[in-house]
Amino acid sequence: MGKSPTQVLVVDDEEDLELLVRQKFRRRTRDGDLKFLFAHNGKEALEVLQEHPDVYLVLSDINMPVMDGLTLLSQLADGEKDIQAVIVSAYGDMKNIRTAMNRGAFDFLTKPIDFNDLEATIEKGLKHVQALQRALETRDRLIAVKQELDMARDVQMSFQPEPLIDSEHYDVKAVIIPAREVGGDLYDFFYIDKSHIALVIADVSGKGVPAALFTTVTRALLRAVTSKDYSTPGDCLTMVNDLLCENNPSCIFITLFFGVLDLQTGKFRYSNAGHNLPRVLRTDSRVEVVPKTGNIVLGIQPDHTYQNNQLQLAPGDTLFLYTDGITEAEDGKNTEFTESRLDERLAELSGSSSERVITDVVDAVQEFVGEAVQSDDITCVAARFLAPVLS
Amino acid sequence: MEEKAKLSVEAEQGDKATILIVTGRVDGSSVGILESAVQEQINAGNKTLVFDFKELSYISSAGLRALLIAARLTQKEGGKALFCALADHIAEIFEISGFNEILDIHATKADALEAV
Repeated sequence: MGKSPTQVLVVDDEEDLELLVRQKFRRRTRDGDLKFLFAHNGKEALEVLQEHPDVYLVLSDINMPVMDGLTLLSQLADGEKDIQAVIVSAYGDMKNIRTAMNRGAFDFLTKPIDFNDLEATIEKGLKHVQALQRALETRDRLIAVKQELDMARDVQMSFQPEPLIDSEHYDVKAVIIPAREVGGDLYDFFYIDKSHIALVIADVSGKGVPAALFTTVTRALLRAVTSKDYSTPGDCLTMVNDLLCENNPSCIFITLFFGVLDLQTGKFRYSNAGHNLPRVLRTDSRVEVVPKTGNIVLGIQPDHTYQNNQLQLAPGDTLFLYTDGITEAEDGKNTEFTESRLDERLAELSGSSSERVITDVVDAVQEFVGEAVQSDDITCVAARFLAPVLS
Repeated sequence: MEEKAKLSVEAEQGDKATILIVTGRVDGSSVGILESAVQEQINAGNKTLVFDFKELSYISSAGLRALLIAARLTQKEGGKALFCALADHIAEIFEISGFNEILDIHATKADALEAV
């Protein structure tokens, strides 16, 4: 099956234009390349267009009974479809030609019609129509792609955890401010049992849908592994890493910090897969960097054993987890926010609620960035230990 | 814009290896430059690459991923990728991410060439 012929509508109340077209394009119409439709005034033309929605090029005379060519042009311009019109006018009739062009005619021909000029003009018109069609198709495809990307982002965002219920024992708040493109930051918190809460922050390499998918899978794996058989954060990461490594030919990786707070003792055990080291805000305004565990990012090195480390929280101490969207946020002059700015700000926030810590840090980063474009997701979690759960 | 290109990669043909001098910032928006420079060398049959990071000012996770891919690609061809002359803050990025454990890193270019 060949493709259906390109259709052109010819509108003239006299027969000469129709005869000329039939004669001149006999071969191409016979070959099924072109097909001509005919109407004898503007009104008829509109009816034909109604019946044949895939006509995009019209060749029309100006002076006709019932509805003239200029009125037809206006009607076409008001319509929803992008129909191109070539106007045929008497030689020297500049006034009508000007009017036609102003009403959106694509081109014009003058009578008596020159065969070659007619063919060239129709060719040009058809090319123009095809280019427009392609542009419209591309636009529609782009809109569809963008909708899918927006959906991917919505799905990813919907995976962020529900806020933990208010408790007298802890105060956890988190925020993720996505950059324009769907990205790969993740935070999570959940109960392991009545007296242990898990805190997670992660950042996947790269952006876009692959990164978002990788993030989503990692979160699900970590939750699954932890709920099934929790022993230590390091053991969980070792298992998740092996699962992620199994099929990762494109070398996507994720930096992830995973810690578990024992609400009875204030002991915080954690393992770190190549992520920026969190901070501890002590009640006396000291800001400590969480000691490293020295392990690699998840997803690229199978059979790697993730180590544990631990620290002690006193009531009132706050853990602060973040992604490099904070420390590497840039102002308009390629200067980064840096860890030292972060630590300075955190030192002023000791004793504050988690909500306040998050808000103040994010405000400071956004003020620093100013009008510059936010290039990466900004994510942080603050978890304050309030009072031990009595066993 | 007065800003110059934020990343350039210059290749220098040595006896035992191709040295890639990476100048500027490798991040999500510039990583393609590094990736195509590596691919170009592999395509040309140069399978031992020494990355000179003396002038590297920043590398993001997207950049680290490109290095990892470079290491895998050269390995597949029977060669290898070595990295040298990391500034302190770059070395720190490698250390925190654990990449210093899986990539072949050397203090100086001479050390790296020695290890080829």
